Amino acid sequence: MRTVEEVVAGVFGVERGSVDESSCPESVEGWDSMGHLNLLAALEQNFNVSIDIGDVVEMVNVQKIRDILLAYGVRG
Amino acid sequence: MDGRMGQGAQHTLKEWILAAEVALLENVDDTAAERFSWLAEGLRRRSPEKLWDLLRDASKEELDKVPELDNLLERLAQTLVGVGRLGETADLVKAARQWEVRLAGSVYRQLAQAQMRSGETARAEETIRELLKQDADDVEAQRLLYRVLRETGRMAEAHDVLNRLVELDPSAATATFAHRERGKLGEMRGRPVRIALLSSYVLDPLIPFLDVECRRAGLAPAFYVAPFNQYTQEVLDPGSGLYGFGPEIVFVALDLEDLAPAVRRAPSVDELARSGDEIRSSLTALVRELHARCNALIVVHELALTGRSSHGILDNRRGDGLSRWTEDLNRDLAEELGSQAHTFLLPLRQVLSRVGTERGQSRKLRYMARMRHGDAALRELARYSMRYVKPLKGLTRKCVVVDLDGTLWGGVVGEVGAEGIQLGPTAPGIEFVDFQEALLNLTRRGILLAVCSKNNPADVMPVLRDHKHMVLREEHFSALRINWRNKAENLAEIAEELNIGLDALVFFDDNPVERELIRQMLPEVLTVEVPRDASQFRSTLEDLTDFELLALTREDELRVGQYEANRRRQALERSSGRLDEYLHSLELRADIARAQASHVARLVQMFNKTNQFNATTRRYGAPEMARLVASPDHRVYVLEVADRFGEHGIVGAAIVREQRETWGIDSFLLSCRVMGLSVETVLLKRIYDAARVRAVARLVGEFVPTAKNGPTVDFYRRHGFRLDGDAGGTQAWILDPRADRIEDPAWIAVKVTGE
Repeated sequence: MRTVEEVVAGVFGVERGSVDESSCPESVEGWDSMGHLNLLAALEQNFNVSIDIGDVVEMVNVQKIRDILLAYGVRG
Repeated sequence: MDGRMGQGAQHTLKEWILAAEVALLENVDDTAAERFSWLAEGLRRRSPEKLWDLLRDASKEELDKVPELDNLLERLAQTLVGVGRLGETADLVKAARQWEVRLAGSVYRQLAQAQMRSGETARAEETIRELLKQDADDVEAQRLLYRVLRETGRMAEAHDVLNRLVELDPSAATATFAHRERGKLGEMRGRPVRIALLSSYVLDPLIPFLDVECRRAGLAPAFYVAPFNQYTQEVLDPGSGLYGFGPEIVFVALDLEDLAPAVRRAPSVDELARSGDEIRSSLTALVRELHARCNALIVVHELALTGRSSHGILDNRRGDGLSRWTEDLNRDLAEELGSQAHTFLLPLRQVLSRVGTERGQSRKLRYMARMRHGDAALRELARYSMRYVKPLKGLTRKCVVVDLDGTLWGGVVGEVGAEGIQLGPTAPGIEFVDFQEALLNLTRRGILLAVCSKNNPADVMPVLRDHKHMVLREEHFSALRINWRNKAENLAEIAEELNIGLDALVFFDDNPVERELIRQMLPEVLTVEVPRDASQFRSTLEDLTDFELLALTREDELRVGQYEANRRRQALERSSGRLDEYLHSLELRADIARAQASHVARLVQMFNKTNQFNATTRRYGAPEMARLVASPDHRVYVLEVADRFGEHGIVGAAIVREQRETWGIDSFLLSCRVMGLSVETVLLKRIYDAARVRAVARLVGEFVPTAKNGPTVDFYRRHGFRLDGDAGGTQAWILDPRADRIEDPAWIAVKVTGE
């Protein structure tokens, strides 16, 4: 299982080192609305969860994604 | 770091080094090994470069005694990168290879990234390529390599690495990344293709997957997606973005629930009948309108139900059942679309069933983004869409070359004998019968088969001729290469014998070594990644999207028999001494006619795949060809040839543009199957005759040289035309029909219809 940062780096094809807790759509190239769906698919697959739509719209940065995953009982 | 250490620390450091050196030398038992590990660990933290000095100078014997040397080297490399000692790290990585210590991919990647950050791009590339030598499937390394290539401006190579990347990681994310990056790379290689999508839902995510599939087929695609749910306006408005884009192929993807929202709420019989009629008439009108306004091939997605019927198990017993209603609707659409030459119905339900409808139709994507299909379904849909794109672009493969042992049957016939091979009605053996049947089915579409096997013919021929469970017999194969030579040479010979390009061959061999050889030596050949499990052979073959035809012409059905006849013809050629005698003995007959609407499918096929004997290599699609055939200013000719061995079908064509005093030969082409028989003269003579009786002053043969049309270079000169200039790469060859003469060859019986 990869970390949230690793998933984000993989989905958008950016250097792992450039992704941190605060990374968000504004700071990562390709993280647009379509990219968000690709990220969702990758997170669901990596952490083996199905994320509620209400939560998906709250996933505004890496830290927030990690918090939301905790509610599904997984540590990102 | 050094600055923070005091005098005492320096002293301690020396002691550390000494102690470590002593420990390394004395490293004879476990205690010493442990002590060395502990010392090395301390040294790594305090002064990693010193530890590296120490290890670098150690002998092989000394290093062999170091416990977990790989771990130590990996940690040391990370520390060295961390303190910016990139040169030392690179030395370490190189040394590790010499010592045959395998380091984790992350060591290479961290080094390469640090090298890139400090501007040492060439060194970074070297590091990445070393890692790829160790593990060619490292996705992250491929990404880094891509970045290096892009930054150093090697765009063609960068495109190739993107191909490799999506191959390794078929996720939507990577497909999207590759698609976005290609936009930045600019420079597109391959034949262009223009693809438009019209949809009632969000289908944009299909584009990256289609992009991947097009690149794989050597195409450089351009895409147009109509604005969300504006497909009707786009079709009806002559000034719409769709028509401005000028698509060659349009996919129309409408969702059943968008067209008939009633299906979600247990509709009555009347409601269903009404919606059904509405859908039929609106969709038919839409397609006809689109067809009338643009030249594109139109592919409409089948209508598919999402979820289950509200009637449960009673659904297919009721008049208002949804499954039967959907079936009827799709059948009617298939009939309507099938009645025109270039409108098709894509079997969406069959495509989605490959991934399972649950994954195929994602409700969450529907709710969140007005999308319908998830990643897996989009990938499958993109693959299937290529079945329309490939024949449109003339990329249909013409021949499957198969191996024998392990491919057409189990076991090695040279070892176990004809009766010992696995081939028959029970397993193991039945899977090979099944595979052979799939190959036989391809021949019904005009796809040729050939054998390339390392074997003794004496071992193999009894199987091909007499084994009672063989489905394929000698006569099904248009070429046989059963020998011990290099398969690349054999394949090149097969292509030559069958008069087709290497890019028309598919190679199916269970031996990975042979496959690798062909991939490297003959990259134009499609080498199939054959699974180890023979029970997957049939589906592997059937999943290939390279055998599609937009229309089955009589020539396709005749083809397999023709090659058999060709073999006999060549035997005759060898037996008759003089060429003249040989040509007479063929009893050639040529029929020339003005083309009719019914010829369009065959004409388009020829115009799009004839390269060698083709004066201008102008490609025309079905709508343009239909217009040319019907045009009062153009004469389109078809040439049909037969000889004593059988019919060749339509093998030649020409388009003449009539102007009062001057007739221009816009296109003139001949299938390579009949080259060397002078049948082209017969066709040219008909054009000349028609011009002469109408007192045309100038007959202008146009010639555009290409890499492949060498055999046509001399065509007009041979027939008395004179070169009259070259405008933008198009040569004009002139003949005066009133003064010059063209004669028919004596060995051809000519028949002219409809002049």
